[in-house]
Amino acid sequence: MAKPKKGDTVVIAGTRKGLFLFHSKDRRTWRSGGPFFKGDTVRHAILDPRDGKTLYAAVTSEHWGAVVARSTDFGATWKIGEEGPRFSKESGLSVTRIWQIQAGQDGDLYVGTEPAGLFRSTDGGETWASVDALNYYPGREEWPPGAGGLGLHTILPYPGDPKRMLIGISSAGIFGTNDGGASWRNMDAGIRSFVEGETNKETAATCVHKMARDAKDPALVYQQNHIGVYRRARGEDAWTRIEKGLPLNPAYKAPFGFPLVAHPHDRGTAYVAPLEGDGNRVMPDGAMAIYRTANGGKSWAKLTKGLPQKDAWFTVLRDAMRADALDPAGLYTGTTTGQIYASRDEGDSWRLMADHLPQVQCVETGIVGSA
Amino acid sequence: MVEGDPRIHVTLPSALREYARGCDTVDLEAGTLAEVVARLAAQFPGLGYRILDDQGRLRRFVNAYVNDEPVSHLEPQDVRLRDGDTVHILPSVAGG
Repeated sequence: MAKPKKGDTVVIAGTRKGLFLFHSKDRRTWRSGGPFFKGDTVRHAILDPRDGKTLYAAVTSEHWGAVVARSTDFGATWKIGEEGPRFSKESGLSVTRIWQIQAGQDGDLYVGTEPAGLFRSTDGGETWASVDALNYYPGREEWPPGAGGLGLHTILPYPGDPKRMLIGISSAGIFGTNDGGASWRNMDAGIRSFVEGETNKETAATCVHKMARDAKDPALVYQQNHIGVYRRARGEDAWTRIEKGLPLNPAYKAPFGFPLVAHPHDRGTAYVAPLEGDGNRVMPDGAMAIYRTANGGKSWAKLTKGLPQKDAWFTVLRDAMRADALDPAGLYTGTTTGQIYASRDEGDSWRLMADHLPQVQCVETGIVGSA
Repeated sequence: MVEGDPRIHVTLPSALREYARGCDTVDLEAGTLAEVVARLAAQFPGLGYRILDDQGRLRRFVNAYVNDEPVSHLEPQDVRLRDGDTVHILPSVAGG
């Protein structure tokens, strides 16, 4: 793979069978590299936004465990961690998968694991420390796993404030800290219960699928849940439904899907990729559509130009959609059938960027040298 | 290491040799399977992590045999070894 140059857009695709890298100067023509970590699942990978240079990949071998690998030469060489994150002996738990990697605002690297755990590294993924106040949270023995396991799949640092962070666990719900992880509290009020007609309280276990912070107001968070799409701002005591215009899962009369992406610049703008429902996790009617709100969720518009409108019987997984930081923003969406669709006009139109990949687990993006 | 521990011959699968500086066999002294992995980990940092989970058990899809006897169902510290035993570490047939 030719080495990308400063200012190039990088798209990272983690798949069931390895990691693939793409880069482009103009977001029209892409060069590709990989697969790296052949045969292993790369559930998540990022280009560190703090330096625009370091790649981190969460590599899970079903046989040999889960580790973080890093590269500072865009995949030419990788430094694979000697060990991955570990739970304590006393816990009785063992890490089987890494769901998520995020660069913290405190300079640390964070991972979320299966079973649900949050770990931080101060040395770029060489060694890991448990965030005990969350990992041994009172009542965790009652956290219910989702269909994909009990995964801590979402880590949302707060821009400019290393003390604040939100995390999401399927299906234990949403937890927030204001003190750098020393203490945590549940934040699930307002989300529909699986019991029809009922709404959860703040301490309920809910099935969060993905969250993202608003570009201009990081205290405003959008959420795709198993049952519905929501928003919540600091100071509000519950999540509010934002679903007008979205297709509904017939089982719960609420939108079902996995990813939720916030626009990189525009206030109130976010994207989701609804599926038919939890009983049939495919694009509704086999026609692929991404939905965009530009008014904080008051309404959603359907985006289909360039996306397959028949026989699109796939899923877009929770980390398989991202936006780049350019203007106009680019969007990238990966499917469980191995395609990546890209938009360079904020979702108005899309092109097939890659095909025949293994099942796409995540799509991430960054700008080379953009610290 | 305890003076007089049994001498053990260990075979490693190809997938683990990159963590063992290319070795496919290792000779060491250990009284139990847990000690075998501890010796391997001391000699090859990172190798033990690939074999045992956080609780010190063989990972779910890792198998171990002592000579021809499967011992994966046992706690590694309970697998007693004798001088001259061969320990085979193998990936189970799993995945796709």
